[in-house]
Amino acid sequence: MNSLNLIRLLAAVAALVAAGQASADSTGKWQSSQEVYNKVCGYCHEANVGPVITGRNLMPEYISAIVRNGNRAMPAFRESEINDAALAGVAKLVSTSPAAAAKK
Amino acid sequence: MSKYIALPKGVAEADFDKAIAEFKKILGAGNVLHTRERLAPYLKIMIPAPIEEHTPSAAIMPESVEQIQRILRVCNRYKTPVWPISTGKNFGYGSAAPATRGQIVLDLKRLNRIIEVDPDLCFAVVEPGVTYQQLYDYIKERNLPLWLDPPIPGPVASPLGNTVERGVGYTPYGEHFLFSCGMEVVLANGDILRTGMGSMPNSNTWQVFKWGYGPSLDGIFTQSNFGIVTKLGIWLMPAPPAYKPFVVRYPDQADIVKAIETVRPLRIAQVIPNAGTVSNALWELAVVNRRADLYTGAGAIPEATVAKLAKAHGVGSWNVYTALYGTEETIAEHWKIVTAAFKASGGTVLTQEDVGPDDPLFNYRRDVMRGEMTMREFGLYNWRGGGGSMWFAPVSQARGSETMKQMGLAKKVLNKYGIDYVGLFVIGWRDMHHIIDILYDRTLPAEMEKARSCYDELLDDFAREGYGVYRTNIDFMDKVAKLYGPVKASVNHKIKKALDPNGILAPGKSGIHR
Repeated sequence: MNSLNLIRLLAAVAALVAAGQASADSTGKWQSSQEVYNKVCGYCHEANVGPVITGRNLMPEYISAIVRNGNRAMPAFRESEINDAALAGVAKLVSTSPAAAAKK
Repeated sequence: MSKYIALPKGVAEADFDKAIAEFKKILGAGNVLHTRERLAPYLKIMIPAPIEEHTPSAAIMPESVEQIQRILRVCNRYKTPVWPISTGKNFGYGSAAPATRGQIVLDLKRLNRIIEVDPDLCFAVVEPGVTYQQLYDYIKERNLPLWLDPPIPGPVASPLGNTVERGVGYTPYGEHFLFSCGMEVVLANGDILRTGMGSMPNSNTWQVFKWGYGPSLDGIFTQSNFGIVTKLGIWLMPAPPAYKPFVVRYPDQADIVKAIETVRPLRIAQVIPNAGTVSNALWELAVVNRRADLYTGAGAIPEATVAKLAKAHGVGSWNVYTALYGTEETIAEHWKIVTAAFKASGGTVLTQEDVGPDDPLFNYRRDVMRGEMTMREFGLYNWRGGGGSMWFAPVSQARGSETMKQMGLAKKVLNKYGIDYVGLFVIGWRDMHHIIDILYDRTLPAEMEKARSCYDELLDDFAREGYGVYRTNIDFMDKVAKLYGPVKASVNHKIKKALDPNGILAPGKSGIHR
C-alpha cells in the first residue's frame, strides 16, 4: 500500500469512527434494526425529545402499535418507510436493549 | 355501510371497487391499503382539524414512474383523486393526510433512488422518497465535500417534498426552491414533462441552468396540484473550509427592532450568508422545557413572567443564530464586522467557546446551519404536550418595525386564545419568514377548537394589514387561496382545468379544485 492510499484508508476509518454506530447507507433499504433505530427512533428518543424507550422491556407489540398509530407528538410511520419486517426487528431491538445514557 | 373508511366525493362505491382492483393489478395487492388498520399511519395528524375531514379512502405505493402513469389512467377513468406524498413528514401542515376526505394517498416513499450526485457541479437528482438522511449517507459514503440543507424533520423528510412545498433550511442554501434546478413531472394525462433544459433531448444542462426556453414552468408545480413531481435537481453547497456559528442575545422584547436592523444589511450583503433564525425567549425555553414545569397559571404566560424566565434560564428575549462560512482568513475579517455591528446594537455575541460544549440550543442550531442531521427542535412539542402543533407563518419584510408590528398582531390574537407566542423569524434575504408554532393539547377537544379558531383569526388579522402566509396546512387551503385574491385563484383554476380536466390530482391543494 502506498502512502497516499494509506492516508485515504485512515481518512475513511476516521469517518466511520466519527459516524459511530450509524453506519452510512444510501441504498434506501434498511440494513439492520440498529440502523432503523439510529436513523429514525434515535433522533428523538436519544435526544431528550421523546422519552427513553430502551431498557424498559417494552412489549414489541406495543412498540409496533405506537409506531403505526403514533401517540401524541410521536408521528406514525408507514409501511412504505418501515415495512412490517423492519418494524418487527426494531421493536425487538428496542424491547431487549439496555438503556443508553440520554444525550443532550 | 361502505366497506371503506372513506370514499372520494362523488365516486360510487362500485366504481371505487373497480379502481382498487385495477390498482392491485398494477402494484400487487400488498401495495394497495384500504383497511382502517393498514391506513392508521395516514390518519395521524398534529393540526387541529378532525381527522374525519381528512380521512383517505386508500393508500397506494408505486415504485416507478411507469406505475404512476398507469395509476393515473385508472384515476381518469373512475374519477378517483390521488393525493401525492413524498415522505409524509409535513408535520404541522397536515402530515400525510389529504386536503379533503376520501382521496387516495399516492405514497411515493418507495421511489427512493438517488439518480445522481455531481461533486464538480455540486448538484443531486433525487426521487420523492429519498430522505435527507439517505442523501447525507450517500455523500458521507463517498466522502464528497458537499453539504445538505435539511429542514427540522431532516432525517425523515424528503428534499424533493420539502422543496416543492417551498420549505426552508438554515444554511446559505436555506430557500430550497431557489436552490433547485430541473424537475421531472408526471402530468394528469400521463405525459412526462422535464422542465427547463430537461425538455431538450440528450441535454446535460438540466441541473445547471434553470430557465430553458420560453415560459419557465417549475414554479407552477410547487405548492400545486398541476402535476406529480417525480425527480428534482437540487444544488448542494460545497463544504467550506471553515465555519463559525454564533448567537447574539438581546435582553428586551423591543430589541427585535435592533436585531433585525443589524442583521438585514449583513445578510443582504452576504457577509452573513445563511438563513439563520431570530427566536424569542419562549421558543428557546419551549425546545428544552415542559411548560408545566415553568408556569401553571391560566392563559398565555404573561410578559413579565417570560422576561423573568428568560433571565433565569440564560436566554435572550431575542436570540439571533447565524454563522460565517469561508476560509479562516475571510471569517476572521467578517467576524470583526459582525461583532462590531451586533455589539453596537446592544446584543451579546457568543460562540461555542462562550456557551460551552453542552448547550443543547446552541448545538442544534450549529448542526442545522451546517446541514447535519438532527430533530432536536421538536423538543417544542413537549412544551404543551398532547401532540398538537400548527405553523402560522406570515411573510414579513426584513425590517425591524415590520417584525415588531407582526409580533404585536400575533400576540394579540394568540393571547386572546390563551396560546403562547412561540415565535421565530427565519432570515430570508430581503424577507423574514415569521414562524409561529401554535402548540396546543390535541387530546383536549376544547383546546383543539381554540387553536383552530385562533389560526383563522390570525389569517384575517394579518390579511387586513396586507400580510400573507408562505404556506398553510390542509385545513386552511381554501381560505388562504381566497385571501390571495380572485385573479390568482382564477388563473390557478384555468391552469388546473387545462392540465387536469378530471380533477384527479390532489383536489383542494392550495385551494385549487377542479
